[in-house]
Amino acid sequence: MSDFPYEYYVDIVTKRYFHGVDNFDMDMVLGCFHPDAALREMTSNTLHDGLDQIRNMFVGLFDHHSRIWHGNFVHTVDAERQAICSQFSVEVTAKESGELLRYENCNRFYLEDGKFKRVFVYMSGENLLK
Amino acid sequence: MQYSCSLDSDGLIDLALNKYFANVDKKNLDAVLNCFHDNAMMTVQTAFAQHVGKQNIKRMFTDFMGAYDAIVHRDFTCTVDAANGRIAASFIAELTQADGKRTFLENTNFWRVRDDKFQEVYIYMSGENPLV
Repeated sequence: MSDFPYEYYVDIVTKRYFHGVDNFDMDMVLGCFHPDAALREMTSNTLHDGLDQIRNMFVGLFDHHSRIWHGNFVHTVDAERQAICSQFSVEVTAKESGELLRYENCNRFYLEDGKFKRVFVYMSGENLLK
Repeated sequence: MQYSCSLDSDGLIDLALNKYFANVDKKNLDAVLNCFHDNAMMTVQTAFAQHVGKQNIKRMFTDFMGAYDAIVHRDFTCTVDAANGRIAASFIAELTQADGKRTFLENTNFWRVRDDKFQEVYIYMSGENPLV
């Protein structure tokens, strides 16, 4: 059984992780992960293994977009299994072209000791997390 | 939409894995459809495909079950939010055509349960959508 209550899982996903992503706050984002965490984008089978690779992925995401927004969340929270699966909308604006892209995505987060150990991402369009 | 759900954690897992997926794999169409409300909605989010109402869901499953000689869903990892009538599961879908060609997908489903049946189902796929 997890030491963390239901709301902890919602808060780390929305108020820390995605808030950090949407505000280009790398420290806040990386603070949600274990050093040996892995993030796998399932629709393109792209693996980012370890905090350095995850950081590099976010450097690319932040460099290429002037606006990033995650919202419309619906969470499935399982404190007993230390997991949260979240469905949400994403809007991003490309820095160079100004093009606005919208996605309907989901993430599965599996935590240990209150931080992300494994994250799985499904995207409704082309993979942004290269 | 937040629904009232009559199932506990074990009941949600039983609905998703035993009543639903086990019967998909056995091609028990009536038992599969019995998991859905008449006005249920099934969305393949990664393909922007939507099947609204039990009759449209039935048509989709009839085609899906006819397109493959063998359908196997396995290696489930469930995330259960019993307080809100929600369950998500990741799994491998192994689909075998008549000519022996096999397709492997690593998918994630989200179910929102009203009373004791599916009201909304969302599917995120790692590859091309076979639920057309």
